[in-house]
Amino acid sequence: MLSFLTDFNFVLANLEVGQHFYWQIGGLRVHGQVFIVTWFVMAILIVASLLATRNVQRIPSGIQNLMEYVLDFVRDLAKGQLGEKDYRPWVPFIGTLFLFIFVSNWSGALVPWKLIKLPEGELAAPTNDINTTVALALLVSIAYFYAGLSKKGLGYFAKYVQPTPVLLPIAVLEDFTKPLSLSFRLFGNILADELVVAVLVLLVPLFVPLPVMLLGLFTSAIQALVFATLAGAYIHEALEGHGEEHEEH
Amino acid sequence: MEIFMRLATGASLLAMEAAEEAEAGGFGINTNLLEANVINLLIVIGLLVYFGRSFLGKTLSTRRTNVETAIRESEERKKKAAAALAEQQQKLAQAQEEAAKIRASATEAANAARAEILAKAEQDMIRMRETASQELNSEQERVINELRQRVVALALQKVEAELPTRLNDESQRNLVNRSIAMIGGAQ
Repeated sequence: MLSFLTDFNFVLANLEVGQHFYWQIGGLRVHGQVFIVTWFVMAILIVASLLATRNVQRIPSGIQNLMEYVLDFVRDLAKGQLGEKDYRPWVPFIGTLFLFIFVSNWSGALVPWKLIKLPEGELAAPTNDINTTVALALLVSIAYFYAGLSKKGLGYFAKYVQPTPVLLPIAVLEDFTKPLSLSFRLFGNILADELVVAVLVLLVPLFVPLPVMLLGLFTSAIQALVFATLAGAYIHEALEGHGEEHEEH
Repeated sequence: MEIFMRLATGASLLAMEAAEEAEAGGFGINTNLLEANVINLLIVIGLLVYFGRSFLGKTLSTRRTNVETAIRESEERKKKAAAALAEQQQKLAQAQEEAAKIRASATEAANAARAEILAKAEQDMIRMRETASQELNSEQERVINELRQRVVALALQKVEAELPTRLNDESQRNLVNRSIAMIGGAQ
């Protein structure tokens, strides 16, 4: 577990950073509060999917309509990144990433988790724990390696020396920077947003944090979109061979 | 009196410690609404619902009407296509029927024509054979007549040629006598 970043324990007045509610599972110490909220997010998504598909009508209405809209959105996202030809098998993966991150972020920004007290640490968005975002980013890495290898076999590795072998170190480095930047971008944005809100709430409890909270909602949605878009871009790059860089912030 | 006071403070201290311990470990509910940021969250959720509902409602209803029109249009197209298919199938059946009819009549006509041609050919054959045999007969007769005349003519010529040499007075007399004898013998 990557705990070097979150293990600095300091207490700013009443604000806790790096305090975790540990569970011991086998030989692993896991962050229980992340698990609880992750389960909550999964439950929301699964229940919404079940409700939407329970009574499928020809003309969609209510939640079916909403979820179909969401599916359209996710499909357009994947299509925009991967192109018309091979976006289809990747819709579930990219869509799951987007939906999970989006609902996680918004659950952290909208649900009053602090009403529930844990023995240690506090409930928040799962994406403000580095372990969650690193796991998601590593999944993206595995996904684009799988995409490249399944499409081109071992010829996939030719792209490392494609324009010139001089760039080989950079190309190899890229495989490490991609998951790093993905995970840290998401983690940093969400944690920073929650910290800013928490500090403002501590200083002025009422009304002043509202703009930051609304901005946080916006940022959270954008970060989910960015993560899913970049995942799509990386997979597209692996499928297409040597392509141009897609960098976003 | 004092000891009671001490006991009371001790008890209250114990109680406070117990309460703190309960707060530090184990699950619980934080009742401090300001610290839990509940009021701000409620406002944010309210704003989100207020603005999100109209936006989302509009989007979803547009989507629904789009889907409805798409379904209706495609159903109409399907109906039209089915009607066209039925029509064309009917036409096909008609055409096939007509083709069968034409084929039957053509076969009939062909049979009739064949019979007619055969009959005519036979007739022609008979007639030709007849004419041929007639011609043959007449030709034969003509040739026979010609031959006969020719033979007669040749015989007469030869007789006329030989007659002057062989016919002298004696033989003429002999002949006359024999003829007279023959006439006499016959009587």
